[in-house]
Amino acid sequence: MVLATSMTIPDILVFVTGALMILVGAAGVIVAKNPVHSALCLVLTLFGVAVLFIEQQADFLAAVQVIVYAGAVVVMFLFVIMFLGVDRTEDVHDEPLMGQRPLAIGLVLVLVGSIVALGSEAKWSGGSHSVVGINQGPYQNVANLGKAIFTTYLFAFEITSALLVIAVVGAVVLARRSMITNAPRTDSLGNPLGATTDFEGADR
Amino acid sequence: MSAMSLLAAGDPLYQHGVTWIVFLIVAVKVLLGFGICLISVTLMIWFERKVISDMQARIGPNRAGPWGLAQTLADGIKLFFKEDLIPERSDRIVFKLAPFLSLVPALVIFAVIPVGGTITIAGYTTQLQVADPPIGILLAIAMSAIGVYGVMLAGWSSGSKYPLMSSVRASAQMISYEAALGMSVLTVVLISGSLSTRTMVDVQGGGPWHWNVIRLGVIPFVIFLIAGIAETNRPPFDVVEADSELVGGFHTEYSSIRFALFYLAEFLNTVTMSAIVVTLFFGGPSGYILPIPGGTIIFPVLWFLLKTVAFCYLFVWLRGALPRSRYDKLMDLGWRRLIPLSLGWMLLVAGFLVSVAWGIGMGIVIVVGGLVLSRAWELGSEREFTDSAVLPPVASRLIPPRLVRDQTDRGEGEDQ
Amino acid sequence: MCLWGVVRDRVTVVDQYLPVLGLLLLGIVFGAGSLIASKLLAPHQQATAAKVAPYECGIVPENDPPARFPVRFYLVAMIFIIFDIEIVFLFPFAVVFRQLGNFGIVEILVFSGVVFLSLAYLRSVGGLTWGPIKQLVKGMPARTSESTIARISADSSPERAA
Repeated sequence: MVLATSMTIPDILVFVTGALMILVGAAGVIVAKNPVHSALCLVLTLFGVAVLFIEQQADFLAAVQVIVYAGAVVVMFLFVIMFLGVDRTEDVHDEPLMGQRPLAIGLVLVLVGSIVALGSEAKWSGGSHSVVGINQGPYQNVANLGKAIFTTYLFAFEITSALLVIAVVGAVVLARRSMITNAPRTDSLGNPLGATTDFEGADR
Repeated sequence: MSAMSLLAAGDPLYQHGVTWIVFLIVAVKVLLGFGICLISVTLMIWFERKVISDMQARIGPNRAGPWGLAQTLADGIKLFFKEDLIPERSDRIVFKLAPFLSLVPALVIFAVIPVGGTITIAGYTTQLQVADPPIGILLAIAMSAIGVYGVMLAGWSSGSKYPLMSSVRASAQMISYEAALGMSVLTVVLISGSLSTRTMVDVQGGGPWHWNVIRLGVIPFVIFLIAGIAETNRPPFDVVEADSELVGGFHTEYSSIRFALFYLAEFLNTVTMSAIVVTLFFGGPSGYILPIPGGTIIFPVLWFLLKTVAFCYLFVWLRGALPRSRYDKLMDLGWRRLIPLSLGWMLLVAGFLVSVAWGIGMGIVIVVGGLVLSRAWELGSEREFTDSAVLPPVASRLIPPRLVRDQTDRGEGEDQ
Repeated sequence: MCLWGVVRDRVTVVDQYLPVLGLLLLGIVFGAGSLIASKLLAPHQQATAAKVAPYECGIVPENDPPARFPVRFYLVAMIFIIFDIEIVFLFPFAVVFRQLGNFGIVEILVFSGVVFLSLAYLRSVGGLTWGPIKQLVKGMPARTSESTIARISADSSPERAA
C-alpha cells in the first residue's frame, strides 16, 4: 500500500473521518427502527466509502460510489420503502424466526473472528495493490481505469451489458400484471379496472 | 510527477503542498464562492420576478431598495421572524434534515465551475474556480443526484398527502432526466478527453467556432438544456409544485426559514445550471480580451457572467412563455425521446472523432437502430390498451362500475 | 512553513478536494446558523392544532396519505439504475477512446447495442408508457353537459370512498 509508507496528518484525518462515517452509518442501519432512517444511514456509509476512495486516489470510484449507489440504488430502496407502503416502524419484539438472535450472534462472532484472522495474516493493510498499476499522477486515475476496462478486462465489461439486459427483463417481469385470464383485472393499486369498459354494459 | 505536467491538470495552487498561505487562499476562495452564490441567488430571485412581471405587463417588486433590488433581502429577513412549524404527523428528524440535503449539493456544484482564468497571489498561481478535482463534472452530476434526496425526503417526512405525491413525481422525474443529462455530458467528455471542467473550458478557447455547442452539433446542448430544466424542476417542467393540483408541492408543510432554505436551493440550482451549460457548451470564461492592464483577469470573468446571465434570462423566459407540461408527457419525453437520441448522438460523435468512415458507419447504425426502435414503438403502442398491457397502468378512475352504469350510461341504455 | 508539519513528498489529489469540503461545511454552517437565528427571532408560542395539521388549502384532511403508489415508479427507479451504470461505464471510455481507436469503437458499439436492445424491449412491452389507462371503448355515450354533471356527481358520491 502506498499510503502506509507516507501517511501524513491530513491523510489520517481524512481516513478517520471516512471510517467514522462508515461505522456510524453501518450501526445506524441496524439500530434505526424506521426503514427510511436505515436507508439514510446507508447513504452515510456509502459517502464514507467515497471519502476513503478519494483518500486512496481512486477519484472515479468515489464519484461512481455516489452517483450509482447513493444516487440510484438507495433512491430505489427509498422508493420501495416510502411509496410501496413499508415505511412503518417495525415492532421487533416478537421474533418472526425462531432462534434468529442466537444464530445472528454466532454468525457475527464467526465473521469478526475471520476478519481479525485475515487482518493479522495480511499485516493489517487492506486490499491488494491497484490492478491498473501505479498511478502515473493525480489526473491519470480515470484514464488508467479506462484502459484497464477496455483492454484487459474487456470480456467482463461486455458481459456486464448482458447483465444489465437481464436486470431490465427482471424488473419488467417483477412489475408485470398477472396474466391469468379469469382473474379480475386490477391496476397496480389493486383497484378494479374496467370501470369505463363497462360502458358496453354486461347486462345488456 | 514534475511541476510542469501538474500545471496542465488541476489547480496549480497545491503543487508545493499545503502551506498556511495556501490554506488561507483556499479559505478566501471558498468564502468568495459562497458569497457569489448567495448574492447571485438574491439577484436571481429579483431578476426572475422583475422579468416575469415585465412579460406579464406588471411592475413587480419596486418598493424595497432601488428598482426593488432589496426585495429578496427583505423577504429573507421577514422569514426569520416567522413561526417555525413542524407538522404533527411529520417524521421530525428527516423533516429537519431535508432542507440541508437540498441546499448543500446546490452549493457544492458551484465549486467545479470555472469563473475565470488564473490569478497569481503572493507567488501562488491559482485558478478562478473554487476547486478543480480530477472528477470535475462528475462531482456536479453526483451532487445533482444527491439533490433528489432533498425533494424526496421533504415530501415524505411532511406526513401530508400532496407533498408526498409531489415528491413521488419529482424524484421519478429527476432520476429520469439524470440519464439524459449524463449522456449529453458524455459527448462533451468525448471531445475534451477529460472530466475536469477546466480542461473542458480550455479546449473551447479561441472563438465561438470552438464552442462545444457548435462542434458537437446543437443536439447535445438542446438535450442538456431540456434535461437541466427538468432536473432543476423549473417551468415548464415544474409538475413538482403544480399549484393547481398539488397545493404547493413538496415544501407545502415547510414554513419560516426552512422554506427559505428550499427556495434558496431552487434558485441556486437555476444559477448553477446556467453556469454549467455555459461551461460545457459555450466556452465558459473564454471570449475576446481587450488589451488593457489586468484585462486577462477581468474579461474572462465578465464573459462568464454575461453568458450565465443570458441563460438565466432564458430560464425565466421559458417560465414566462410556456405552459406547464403534463406529467406523463414529461416522462415520455425523457425516456422515449431524449435517452435514445442522446445515446445515438453520443455514438455519432465518438465515430466522427475516430475517423470520418466510422462516423458514416455510426450514422448507418443509428438509422438501423431508429428503425428497430420505431418498430418497438408500434408494438408498445398496441400494448398500451388495458386488455393487452403487460404492465399495470399507472392510474384509473376510481368509480364503482354500478354508479357509472346507473348515471353515465342511462341515456344510452334507454335508447336500446 | 508547512501547515501539516510534514512537507508532502508526493502530490496528492486529496488537496484538490479541500475547497469542496470547505464549501460543504460552509453550507451546513449557513443552514444551521439560519435555523438558530430563526429560533431566536421567531415568535415562541404553542402552535395550534390547525397549524400543525396537514395543509390542504383550508379543507380539513379526511383521509390519510396514500400508503402505496403505482408500481411504475419502482420500475422507473430500477431502469434508472441500469442506465446510470451504463453511463458510468461510458465515462472512462470517453476519456481514453482516442487511444483505443477502432477497437474501442467496436467495443462501445457492442455495449451500446445491447443496452439499446434493452431500451427497445422496454418500449415494446410498454414499460416506458405513462399516463392514464387507455381502453378500447365501443359505444361510448356522447358527452353532453347532462352526462358530465352525472359523472361529477358519481365522482363525489359517498359510495366512492367505500
